[in-house]
Amino acid sequence: MKTPENTGDHSANTPPATGLAGWIDQRLPVISAFRAEYVDFRLPRNLNWLWNFGAILTVVLVLMLATGIFLAMNYTATDAGAFLSVEAIDRQLSGGWLLRAMHMTGANLFLAALYIHLFRGLYYGSYKAPREILWLTGLILLVMVMATAFAGYMLPWGQMSYWGADVITKAVGAVPVIGGALEHIMTGSDHLGDVFLHRFFVLHFLMAFLVVAVVGLHVTAVHISGSNNPLGIEPKTKKDTLTFHPYYTTKDLVGLIIFALIFTALMFFWPNLLAEPANYAPADPMHTPADIEPEWYFLPFYGLLQSVPSKFGGLLAAAGSIVVLFFLPWLDRSPIRSARFRPLCRVGLLGLVVAFVLLAVAGKHHAEGVWMIVARLAGLYYFGYFLVLLPLAARMEKTRPLPSSIAAAEGDA
Amino acid sequence: MTDHSDTTESTEPGRRDFLGMVTTAGVAAGACACAVPFVQSLAPQDSASAHLPVDVDISKLAPGQQMTAVWQGKPVFILRRTPEDLKQLQDAALVADLRDPDSSVLQQPSYAKNWHRSFVPEYGVYVGVCTHLGCVPVYEATTGGDNKGRYNCPCHGSKFDLAGRVRKGVPAPYNLPVPPHVLVSPTQLRLGESPKGESFDFSSIVQI
Amino acid sequence: MMKTTRLLALAAAAFLSAPLTTLAAVPEPLVPPHQKWDFDGPFGQFDQKALQRGFMVYDRICSTCHGMKALTYNDLSGIGMSEQAILDLAHSKMIAGPPDVSGQPTSRPGRPDDHFRSPFPSDEAAAAMMGGVAPPDQSRLAVIQPHGADWLYAFLTGYKMPPPADAPVVPGKFYNDWVDGHLIGMPPPLMNGMIQYPDGTPATVEQQARDVTSFLVWAADPHRTARHRTGLWVVLYLIGLLVLAIAWKKKTWKRVKSQ
Ligand code: HEM
Ligand code: FES
Repeated sequence: MKTPENTGDHSANTPPATGLAGWIDQRLPVISAFRAEYVDFRLPRNLNWLWNFGAILTVVLVLMLATGIFLAMNYTATDAGAFLSVEAIDRQLSGGWLLRAMHMTGANLFLAALYIHLFRGLYYGSYKAPREILWLTGLILLVMVMATAFAGYMLPWGQMSYWGADVITKAVGAVPVIGGALEHIMTGSDHLGDVFLHRFFVLHFLMAFLVVAVVGLHVTAVHISGSNNPLGIEPKTKKDTLTFHPYYTTKDLVGLIIFALIFTALMFFWPNLLAEPANYAPADPMHTPADIEPEWYFLPFYGLLQSVPSKFGGLLAAAGSIVVLFFLPWLDRSPIRSARFRPLCRVGLLGLVVAFVLLAVAGKHHAEGVWMIVARLAGLYYFGYFLVLLPLAARMEKTRPLPSSIAAAEGDA
Repeated sequence: MTDHSDTTESTEPGRRDFLGMVTTAGVAAGACACAVPFVQSLAPQDSASAHLPVDVDISKLAPGQQMTAVWQGKPVFILRRTPEDLKQLQDAALVADLRDPDSSVLQQPSYAKNWHRSFVPEYGVYVGVCTHLGCVPVYEATTGGDNKGRYNCPCHGSKFDLAGRVRKGVPAPYNLPVPPHVLVSPTQLRLGESPKGESFDFSSIVQI
Repeated sequence: MMKTTRLLALAAAAFLSAPLTTLAAVPEPLVPPHQKWDFDGPFGQFDQKALQRGFMVYDRICSTCHGMKALTYNDLSGIGMSEQAILDLAHSKMIAGPPDVSGQPTSRPGRPDDHFRSPFPSDEAAAAMMGGVAPPDQSRLAVIQPHGADWLYAFLTGYKMPPPADAPVVPGKFYNDWVDGHLIGMPPPLMNGMIQYPDGTPATVEQQARDVTSFLVWAADPHRTARHRTGLWVVLYLIGLLVLAIAWKKKTWKRVKSQ
């Protein structure tokens, strides 16, 4: 969105900082850069509530880092000590139960917000030129956060942690040729124990901070291309845009508070909606819990994994479902971004959401009978949407006419 | 519609955005409240058990020997002094070389405010933490000649005599602290408890 | 184009028809009758009197076989026990100390920050002494066990002595309505009046079962009362803030919309 306003000199509408702030700014222009990017920065005037999730994700990330650091101060990454150290955080450390509850709820809602954020991009075509890199950095973030969450889930070293680790390392072992070696490197010794736990603790920690770095790239990219909007057309004049502050700061704040209410309700009143009770039993290599299933945010991928009869095939399907998203900007050649103007794509996307949810439900069940069929149908649809429907739609779809400008569409021409 | 919305921002000159200020203050207050569990979790987790008395078996401690017990997580020197050691402690030359020979600084219970700085002369009981910067001094037994038994601190060379009294001209400012202690039997010393009729709050001393 | 579509369809059909196997009949899980508990629901709070009675049952009866490793005696301040009572309680428990100078095991009186004493030196020892199955640790039992409190109560009051006529009799096993296969190695733990509550509550089996269930739920979720209370304040604060934020947002956006 290189509108004339955004490329221009910002000091035109904001007085230069004076006093100490001015002194610093002349030497290191952080203050004017902040003003340019977070105060005077211009965004399309028609952004809807789905655009709140960027701010929400930023706040949750900060919360995750803060609570994570404080948990890490009290956590022991050993086979013998991990479970009891988490128990001690929950029971004996003052305020510890709150820190842990925030970290657990935060992890769940972080993934939830990520999925919504990603769906927003899919629906309004935010992955198309000139935002391809923005889309790619976002996907990298998704993968990194999933890895972080998985590694984190190992740390309490309960039954679910242990058997989750077991299943995943074995799945990695299914990769042809190098699988065995990979599995051995991942477990770090001949059994899941101290080495594994310690490595995953470091990985968890490290990944979380690398996420911050990639978020930096992601946000830089969004500030260069500018935000997309529900109409998917670029702003042309100043009339099509509003400044970040006070318009979108106030709107983001409302979104954040509503999100915080959901967060609070889950954390204080329904904590067991998200937590898996079996993980309150310490890891026991001699006894697998009755129903082992991953956290809800991995269920769709687990559904795909289970739907393919071969172990490696399942791994490919699960990994492929994310890899295919990386190619999306080049699979969908339609010049129209927003699904609002693409009737076929819109219905197709709804189907995609249904398929994703069905895969998750199937992932919750054993891969047999009806659920196997559901998982396979949904899986086929998932890949079909990206690999068949979108490329075809670009050629065949009868799109609806685009408005002449954002302001015009808002009735303000 | 020539006057664009965005330019109307300046239509309320001078009138601060009161609603915005209240809301921002509300957000800031909430953010500060979030800090509570973080700060709470940093509260020192002192072990309550550390304050319980510790019994030390001294039956195997020969005259002229020293042993180290642990009390409240600190090393405590228990020293069985020979008659020569005791004589040395009262030697005028030594006393003249001490910073606080009479134990006037509160570094010991009242029942140890005497020339041997202990409950019974034979046993010296001192917290083995140098009053300079906290290193653990090393015991040097009397081996005859003019090599008087003493404690030497390895870090910056502070010297203490066999009653834990600090020498002049060394960095440590105070005598070694004496913990509350009582001889419950000839072979058992109890740290952290005072003799009957006495009491002593160890945290009231001037400095460890 | 047509050809590829047909191929795809064929492949899909083959792929999909593979798993048509019938679902095995899953045994009906036992659903215990629902009881009314003070601590139920998003606003529930523990009754400290019940928790203290429940601890008494745990301490006198359950703890002879079941550990509660994650708790320390100090944690009992959460059920309203005084510092002195906790100190005395801990002191009455002999805890394994470090080996003495000659390598012999020692024991010492417990301290408030000791973890609850385990009845067996190890899980293996427990299993060996209890006929092959170690009594599970009870720190989180109420949350791990499906139907938590309701099941615990049903189970504790569900022993049938003598067992129904048609039930198989296995020596060393006891009949209980609420366990898989109706047989369990744990003998009926509660008897009418086998303990005396200091607050005068009649110690019937039902009362003891209710109390110890409350205590186990507390042990599994010790901050529930504080969690619900804090949560309520946070929600109120957020609603207030939301009203302010919406007003601010509306006022700001009026400049855009109202022309
Ligand atoms: C992207 C940010 C992060 C995500 C998505 C994340 C996710 C998770 C998850 C899912 C768990 C398991 C929760 C449970 O069942 O207990 C966990 C635990 C943990 N995390 Fe993180 N985390 C993040 C950042 C961090 C950071 C920055 C640190 C430390 C510097 C950290 C330290 C820990 C520790 C010590 C635990 C184990 C304690 C516990 O289980 O409560 N986390 N994390
Ligand atoms: S610490 Fe002992 S002399 Fe400095």
